[in-house]
Amino acid sequence: MFKKNGVEKDIANTLNIARRRREAIEATPATPLPKTYKVNELSANLHPGIIKAEIVKIEPLTSLAKRITFRSMAPNKRFPFFKAGQYITVSARIGKHLVTRPYSIYSSPNQALDGIIEIGVLQAGYFSNHLCLEARVGDVVLIGEPSGEFYYDNLRDSSHIVAVAGGSGITPFVSMIKALLEKSDNFNLTLIYGVKTLNDLMYDACNIHDPRIKQVVVLSNEQREGYEHGFITRDILAKYVTSETSVFMCGPNPMYAFVLGELKKLGYDEHRVRMEHNCIGDLNEDSDIEYTLTVHMRDETFTIPARKNETLLVAMEKAGLAAPSRCRSGYCGFCHSRLIKGNIYTPEEHDHRRAADRKFGYVHPCATYPHSHVEIDVPVLDALKEI
Amino acid sequence: MNKKYDVVIIGAGNGGLAAAIGVLKAGKSCLVVEKHNLPGGFATSFVRGRFEFEASLHELNGMGQGAHTGSTYALFDELGVVDKIDWLQIKHAFRLITKEEGLDFTMPIGPEACVEACKKLCPDGDKYMQRFIDLSINCAEAMNYIGQSKGKPDPQVMQTKYADYLACASYSVDEVFEAEHFPKVMQYVINAYWSYLGTKTSEVNFAHYANMTYKYFLYGAVAPKLRSHEMSLAFVERIHELGGEIWFNTEATKILLDDKGRVFGVSLANGQCIDTRHVIANCSPHNVYGKMLNKVPEAATKLTNFRRLAGRGFTIFLGLNKSPEALGITDHSYFIYDTADANVIYEKMKKLDSAAGQATVCLNHVHPDCSPKGTTILYITSLFMDDVWADVDEKDYHKKKNEIAALFIRKFEEATGAKLFGHIEEIAIATPQTYARYTGHPQGTIYGYESQPNDSLMARVQMVNEDAVVSGLRIGGGFGERLLGFSSAYKSGLSEAKRTLRDIEKEAC
Repeated sequence: MFKKNGVEKDIANTLNIARRRREAIEATPATPLPKTYKVNELSANLHPGIIKAEIVKIEPLTSLAKRITFRSMAPNKRFPFFKAGQYITVSARIGKHLVTRPYSIYSSPNQALDGIIEIGVLQAGYFSNHLCLEARVGDVVLIGEPSGEFYYDNLRDSSHIVAVAGGSGITPFVSMIKALLEKSDNFNLTLIYGVKTLNDLMYDACNIHDPRIKQVVVLSNEQREGYEHGFITRDILAKYVTSETSVFMCGPNPMYAFVLGELKKLGYDEHRVRMEHNCIGDLNEDSDIEYTLTVHMRDETFTIPARKNETLLVAMEKAGLAAPSRCRSGYCGFCHSRLIKGNIYTPEEHDHRRAADRKFGYVHPCATYPHSHVEIDVPVLDALKEI
Repeated sequence: MNKKYDVVIIGAGNGGLAAAIGVLKAGKSCLVVEKHNLPGGFATSFVRGRFEFEASLHELNGMGQGAHTGSTYALFDELGVVDKIDWLQIKHAFRLITKEEGLDFTMPIGPEACVEACKKLCPDGDKYMQRFIDLSINCAEAMNYIGQSKGKPDPQVMQTKYADYLACASYSVDEVFEAEHFPKVMQYVINAYWSYLGTKTSEVNFAHYANMTYKYFLYGAVAPKLRSHEMSLAFVERIHELGGEIWFNTEATKILLDDKGRVFGVSLANGQCIDTRHVIANCSPHNVYGKMLNKVPEAATKLTNFRRLAGRGFTIFLGLNKSPEALGITDHSYFIYDTADANVIYEKMKKLDSAAGQATVCLNHVHPDCSPKGTTILYITSLFMDDVWADVDEKDYHKKKNEIAALFIRKFEEATGAKLFGHIEEIAIATPQTYARYTGHPQGTIYGYESQPNDSLMARVQMVNEDAVVSGLRIGGGFGERLLGFSSAYKSGLSEAKRTLRDIEKEAC
């Protein structure tokens, strides 16, 4: 038998275990408990969720693109210190619609601490048209906290990033350049920026003289001295990409497909290419087929129309429901919802659900189209109701 | 009019989910409110690129093997979720590598194999291992018996059948091994699991530690095939089958007490109030008593001040672009410590940059298809025993994360000879801030309240009813009487459900 201090004492110690605890509790002072903790405070600063913000400046970047500046209306009057390359969401009401879209940040991390975030918006769709044409200084919108993994990470990435940008895909790289200049980040960035003509440049790094930053502009629709011409081909890429470099891409999907093909021909491992996700749009066919979407949000139920060619998220936004969304590309899982009934379709390239979500019937409404009447349970995002 | 439920559960973590099923099975109505948009608390997963990472679970013990089903299996069976989950059996207990002592020891699974492995470790190693197993079984059976006797065990039975338990149950792991003259090296290998409880061996209660450890040695452990998110969704499905409701993105802000200090409702962040006379909180008492009550009984304040917050979590999730074989990662579960002396590592963990200990899992060794062919999922977990992350400035935070993570990755490389740097395709780093974000736990603790000589499992179990100082409010989960860990949190949740059902019954009388 086990023995330490003698049978009687050992057993007595065990039998008194609760008494000793009781006495220790009784001897503890009844000092009021803390209301807050330092770790949790920083956590809340980094992840505030939704922040109310005011548009303070709208400036043209090109004939079709605007730079929009938001100022934080949060109690602490700031935005989180983000990682350059991340995106925010912008939510606004347009008529009855309650619409949320992701935008890469155009400004720098230090500016965020001063309460400023900028985005570069190209007129290309419903919400970007609204922001470029309808929005006015003084408008109040909701900003979703900076998110995404499209940033330089010194443990993951090479210290030389070749950044391939197409059109408005330049914006996260603008933020990275600003972060380099203000010393929030430190790496080498070679920017290969593809646009149609010189007038389409939403940003120009040609005047920046920093040994870490290099810009190569590739014009597809015009020839000019000092600029590359055509597409971003393997010949251009080969000048800057080695097996040691990391490649980041942000731009339209056709550019991704083309440049990936070119990189593969160079023997570059496609899994080392980091591509920012693009929003999922409407499908071309079946726009005339309409189903009923039943949405449960806590103890409320909404019955709304849902077109077969539009995602469940779009249907909810059009109905003005406070549905959560963030990346709008099927990836981040912020809109994670339970499918109760109905047939749905999620394109394979946008199906980033967790394996167990597929097993138990959960969907990401931002990447899910109805193929019948559908019933879902959606975690309502109350903060959206504030606008 | 407010909605009304027999029981409202705050938090859909492991404890809350188990509690909900317990309440619903008894035919009572139940609403679970959860601040986050997912169930499970720590029991979840996340996708990065082509990898789906397990958020927290290393291995689940107490499931047993074959005919020897264990207590966790019994719990899952009782809750009706066992068949909803695909289980994978883990083949080895662990590989322990310690720098100072030059130890590199792999513990197999199964009583004979463990005893055999220890025979080679030191003279009479087999006998010591056998002695540890015997002591552990006696403790575990005694604790079961005490549990079944609802806290009123027959002293005669205790003295005759559970003499070892009675004699050792108040002592720490170190005290018991010293009294039994265990050679140091035997202590080192048996103590390898100490970081799973996060208390130094000079303080952690032996019976508690033994009750956890011998199960790993004897029956091994399992992991759900689709990460712990599979378990959480299985629980949610069961809750819906039983007619329960769960509201996500729904934060409970106040537990409402009447003039007599008893629960009459819960108010939510959106302004809604829910009527209920019974709340089971699956969150920290620090938050419940510190923020959610308008009037806090002095006993609750004293009790909470008395507790010590346990280890603050730190995890590095790696998606690697080569197979485990190509990288030289040969095992599923590693304990890598600067020294085998847990008490020394515990003190080192009070510093930000010591990276003195890690528990690391390569998921592919239990589930080869968990990531695409030719890739690896590895996660490195450690603890901080003080609030060293609290002083990190927001502007330095991202850099600091990577700086500290690099130290742990390098230590893994040094200890195992594996190559990780240069193969990192995806990386996510969870700091105490991250855990605070997802669970609201104070200072980002992931282990609830630390097991202390005066706040051990044994003492807590005996005082559960005394600890419930607010009428109509019970607190379960990782901060509960069974302390941290997946199976403990599930069990604690179910126990609180059963106690709540008894409270309801008493009210009806």
